[in-house]
Amino acid sequence: MIRRTLVIAAAATLGIVGLTGCVSGTGQDAAGTTVHVVSTATECTLSANTAPRGTVVFSVTNSGDSVTEFYVLADDGNRTVGEVENIGPGITRDVRVEVQAGEFFTLCKPGMVGDGVGKARFTVTDTR
Amino acid sequence: MIANLLIGLREGLEAALVVGILVAYLVKLQRRDVLPRLWLGVGLAVALSLGLGAVLTFGTLGLSFESQELIGGTLSIVATALVTWMIFWMLRTARTLGTSLRHDVDTHLAGGGWGLVIVAFLAVGREGIETALFLWAAVQATGQTTLPLLGAGIGILLAVALGWLIYRGVVRIDLGRFFAWTGFFLIVIAAGVLAYGVHDLQESGLLPGLHVLAFDVSGAVPPDSWYAALLKGTINFSPATTWLQAAAWVLYTIPVLALFIRALRAPGRAKDSAQTDSSTEVINQGAS
Repeated sequence: MIRRTLVIAAAATLGIVGLTGCVSGTGQDAAGTTVHVVSTATECTLSANTAPRGTVVFSVTNSGDSVTEFYVLADDGNRTVGEVENIGPGITRDVRVEVQAGEFFTLCKPGMVGDGVGKARFTVTDTR
Repeated sequence: MIANLLIGLREGLEAALVVGILVAYLVKLQRRDVLPRLWLGVGLAVALSLGLGAVLTFGTLGLSFESQELIGGTLSIVATALVTWMIFWMLRTARTLGTSLRHDVDTHLAGGGWGLVIVAFLAVGREGIETALFLWAAVQATGQTTLPLLGAGIGILLAVALGWLIYRGVVRIDLGRFFAWTGFFLIVIAAGVLAYGVHDLQESGLLPGLHVLAFDVSGAVPPDSWYAALLKGTINFSPATTWLQAAAWVLYTIPVLALFIRALRAPGRAKDSAQTDSSTEVINQGAS
């Protein structure tokens, strides 16, 4: 019985990984729009503050001395739309979000603590 | 470099501790023959994580933020369930061992041995994709600087070394205490993994309350400090904990600890051979 339970658990796990893994990323606009972000101790600079709807990849480079995180928030400034953590100093990491037209916020969180720095508006337009 | 080292340490530590305990357990039971299977599970998890991470980093495929959190969260909760099963399974096996009925231990391991392999696989693979993405990002940075990769590598090696030390430490404990100590330790680890999984699911938007904090001690325990890395890496303590995380932690820890203590105190430790025999019969039926 234990073995059967384990097999079911393992199968379910692999199924979840397979499903969630495949749904995203595939599709016609897998490439999407890339926005480069530079995070320092005090600033969070984006190469663009607007992008067309669809897939937006934020490529975040940590130029500071402490580990940083990058967030994309909904226009209530609260709900997390996208997030990437564990961006060590000198490292660049991507976060991929699927967004509809609307207003968003972006911010960096050097030191992984507090409200973050460089909170700014980010607009997603209805054009493609 | 230190910052990247701490990420590597934090991401690798918990897996190293769990695997260290599993190895100690098999050595204690004199079942070193199961060890290759265990290492197979660990190796598979590492290979799968690095492979998926490489595809996502260098290929055109991408993993959306929600998917990554959903995978991390779900695997964490499955891992908690499996580790919890394992704690009680280990305890029952220990009881069988007390009766020195060698073949009973063997019967248990026939089914449960693979269970341990799956636990090892999940312990390593749970946050494997995140760690792999971090590592590949460090590899990508080597064009400009090799320090991040060096730091991350040393951090992971440090985690493995600590896992080995834990193994060396617990393998010396006498058998009676061994299961009590490792059981308590694993319950605390599993509770942390559960809370972590809940937080991942909150981040993915599946569960609410991401910003409703039970406590925030980030001032006293800065998340980028070495002790925060150790706390996070072992018991998954996050300085800013949501109410839902805290509730999941408490609702898991209290009943499981109570059941564990009851199981520890339960009769059948070879004091009364008749009773022990009947209880092992039940266990055997349950296991087969």
